[in-house]
Amino acid sequence: MTPAPDTLCRHCLLPVGRRAFTRAVNGESCQFCCYGCCIAHQVKSGSGEASEAAWFLVRLGAGSFLSMNIMLFSLLVYSGAFTGADRRVLPTIQLLLWGLATPAVLILGEPFLRETWSQARRGRLTSSALIVLGSLAAYAYSTLAVFQGGGHLYFDTASMVLMLFTLGRYLEAAGRARASRDLAPLLAAESELATVIEAGLEQRRPVREVREGMLIRVKPGERIPVDGLIVEGRSHTDEAVITGESRQIAKAVGAAVLAGSINLDGPLLIRSSGSGGESRWAQICRSVREALRQSSRTQRIADRVVGAFVPIVLAVAAMTLVYWLHRLPLDQAMLTALSVLVVACPCAVGLAAPMAHSLAIGQLARHGCLVRSPGALEALAATRLIAFDKTGTLTLGRPQLVDLASDGVEQDEVLARLAALERHSEHGLARAIALAASARGLDPIAAEDVQILPGRGLRGMLHGHAIAAGSAALMDELGWALPPALLERAQLMAASGHSVVFVGWSENALAGRARAALSFDDTPLPEARATVEALRELGLRVTLLSGDHAGAAARVAATVGTDDWQAGLLPEAKRAALDQFRARHGAVAMVGDGLNDGPGLAWADVGIAVGSATDLARETADLVLPADGLWLLPWVVGRARAVRTTILANLAWAFGYNLVALTCAVLGLLQPILAAAVMAGSSLLVVLNSLRLERLPGPAHPSPESEPGPTASGPSRVLALLKAES
Amino acid sequence: MTYYALLFVAGFAGSFHCIGMCGGFACALGADARGASATSLRHVLYNTGRLSTYCFLGALAGALGQVICTSLATGSQNAASLLSVSLNAGQRVLAVTAGLLMILMALRFFGVRGRHRLTGGFGSSTLVVSLRSLLGRRGYAAPLSLGVLNGFLPCPLVYAMLAQAASTFDVLSGCLSMAAFGLGTFPAMLAMGGIGRLLAPGWRQRGVRLAGSFILALGLVTLSRGILPMSDHGLHHLWHFT
Repeated sequence: MTPAPDTLCRHCLLPVGRRAFTRAVNGESCQFCCYGCCIAHQVKSGSGEASEAAWFLVRLGAGSFLSMNIMLFSLLVYSGAFTGADRRVLPTIQLLLWGLATPAVLILGEPFLRETWSQARRGRLTSSALIVLGSLAAYAYSTLAVFQGGGHLYFDTASMVLMLFTLGRYLEAAGRARASRDLAPLLAAESELATVIEAGLEQRRPVREVREGMLIRVKPGERIPVDGLIVEGRSHTDEAVITGESRQIAKAVGAAVLAGSINLDGPLLIRSSGSGGESRWAQICRSVREALRQSSRTQRIADRVVGAFVPIVLAVAAMTLVYWLHRLPLDQAMLTALSVLVVACPCAVGLAAPMAHSLAIGQLARHGCLVRSPGALEALAATRLIAFDKTGTLTLGRPQLVDLASDGVEQDEVLARLAALERHSEHGLARAIALAASARGLDPIAAEDVQILPGRGLRGMLHGHAIAAGSAALMDELGWALPPALLERAQLMAASGHSVVFVGWSENALAGRARAALSFDDTPLPEARATVEALRELGLRVTLLSGDHAGAAARVAATVGTDDWQAGLLPEAKRAALDQFRARHGAVAMVGDGLNDGPGLAWADVGIAVGSATDLARETADLVLPADGLWLLPWVVGRARAVRTTILANLAWAFGYNLVALTCAVLGLLQPILAAAVMAGSSLLVVLNSLRLERLPGPAHPSPESEPGPTASGPSRVLALLKAES
Repeated sequence: MTYYALLFVAGFAGSFHCIGMCGGFACALGADARGASATSLRHVLYNTGRLSTYCFLGALAGALGQVICTSLATGSQNAASLLSVSLNAGQRVLAVTAGLLMILMALRFFGVRGRHRLTGGFGSSTLVVSLRSLLGRRGYAAPLSLGVLNGFLPCPLVYAMLAQAASTFDVLSGCLSMAAFGLGTFPAMLAMGGIGRLLAPGWRQRGVRLAGSFILALGLVTLSRGILPMSDHGLHHLWHFT
């Protein structure tokens, strides 16, 4: 869009011209005449807190003021500005250089010196020891040269090396600040304040002090601090942090709101339904914090290598010094050794993994996916096979009545009696029957003396007659006849993978007989097929390890398109199957619902729970997806792989670069300042490469609109099926 | 001397541009609670930081110019004439580049924008967050740091002047060019901090046009040094005189 010619720059109030910079600052679209104004405006108007990065920046600014002046005068000296008639001022210039260099070395070198000292007291040599040694040697040599006369001065080397490394530290801190800005909403639960209304007064209180029943006011744009019910006001909320899906949800009085969701457009008054520290959001925060605290295997190995690297470098530098001393004057030899020290500093190695990890953990968490540790991400990236723990993971978990075959009785009567009996059952099928009965408008009645026969079914009394529902075995056991026509239909039903239930009752004190067969089906999740396909496109083998009977497992496997399936597995058999897979395919991941398959998930290399238990602290899975978050899985795998690639690239670059540069330095081909500059460049590259992870696209829901709302369409679908049947 | 005076004036005129962008910093730096002298010190430190960055960049540009034309000249016969008045091939190439660059920058001041646009990735937003935190800090290191880093912010005026500094082919001259320019921006910027009020946009726009004209003129002269034959004594003498 071309702005009108008289539009003024938001910052300097000059006309922006035809090609204006348009940037969003604090959510407001602003136009600027140039890039600089844009930055200046953001600095002036934005709100931010002082961070480590800013601290380094002050040091960097003051240090570079001094080092730039040193560099300036050194350049003048090198370029021959003080030759001939101006030669007299040279000693003064040298004193001036010393006067500038001393504070520069103190200001810039202090953090490195302190780190070296604190580590040395614990008997460890870190990379900052290399920097300190190198720059102090250059400084000491030059100071001697100033006061004893003669010799070249290397104050510029000492201060520039320190400045460039401070620049590297600043970049690192800034990158971390950037990554933590992403994590801020996730870590906010513990520090966030809630506006509590007590006795008509508004008070800002920490979230963890909020108790059940308190009234909380939430302004538009704020995060809702606790779970609760809306007492007053209407608004839209975005629950991405909890559900993984960013979309506006309309909320009115009486609606439940989740802690951590953002109140988008209207003021709300909320009555808290639990204490602030117990909400899922607070649990997510604790989990993320815990994950960030851990380091992955790759990082531990890298750290160990760095630990071994430092003494070796010191030895190499010493040898370089000795070797070149025979061929060059002292200062030249020292400069070469200094280059070795500077160039070998493995700063970038330490940066390689943590930033990529925290970025990824933050990004995943913003979509409701929790990672237990960075190691889990690395393991997931290496995984070649994903096993689904049960059909329930791929299905809605809500069986629906799909077919009813009766033998001489009305369908309504069958359903009414069955519903009366199943009222006493907690079984998943009972819910399906109740739904079907209510869809037909049947009045609920209740059976008496209901007995649950584990694994077989139910029996009870209705209107003084015995009634039973369950497997064919149950009918046999009761001695009730199974009409051959019914049995045949039932076999057909079972063959297509449905669960079959027989219903029978007795009449007039005669022995009962089976009067109907019902088939139930658990529909696969609408997005299951797309998810499995996406996983296979990622080169993963997808398999189903089910405890269900073969028919059901085969049908689900065929519908969603897994590579293979195994049915009827007991927990031990699942473990054995996982071991087999591991032997054949390497690392395996297991996806379950996290409720009652803990051992299976723990046995896999990566356990993934979808929509898990309410208490995250007791969760054993390495990765927790939000409820109904199966569709996120391919994205999570892609993300884990991106992280791994990034880290490996970082490490390869950092180590490779160090080795090449070290060789050059030993051969005396590298100036110390140049070496330090490229070192800072190396840090910058690693930081930028890690930050590239930020740009990867977020998850795309397959089709949020077409997803059938289970409560809305469930019963009507049953109704339609049954109508078609009758 | 006239040459540096010219740059000083260019800096002064250009500071009407600075007021818009960097003046914002000067204003935000604000007053010190400890009184007028402390406030003045803050602003002097800020401007000193800025000046030292300019000088440093100028010296680097001069050194770069020196290195480039020395390395380009070594191949040619004119290597020995580097110190003489006549220009060798390397210097000509550099003068043409610098001149064109300056003209391009000057055109930007007249509202003609190229496709040149810096991307605001990691650099900008991170710098923004950090610089923002510097503004509110107490103590004297923060304004100095702000000034030093401010000097590195992208600015067409500085780019143009750096091109000029590079075309002097000398460290000292490059440094002095930038120093003259930087000192030229002092009065307005210091006033800015003191007054803390923006000039009317109409006046500033006139100032920016003036700065653009100066840069355009300097650019044309630099360009002509590279293009015009050595025998063109009129212009050459004029330049040498300045």
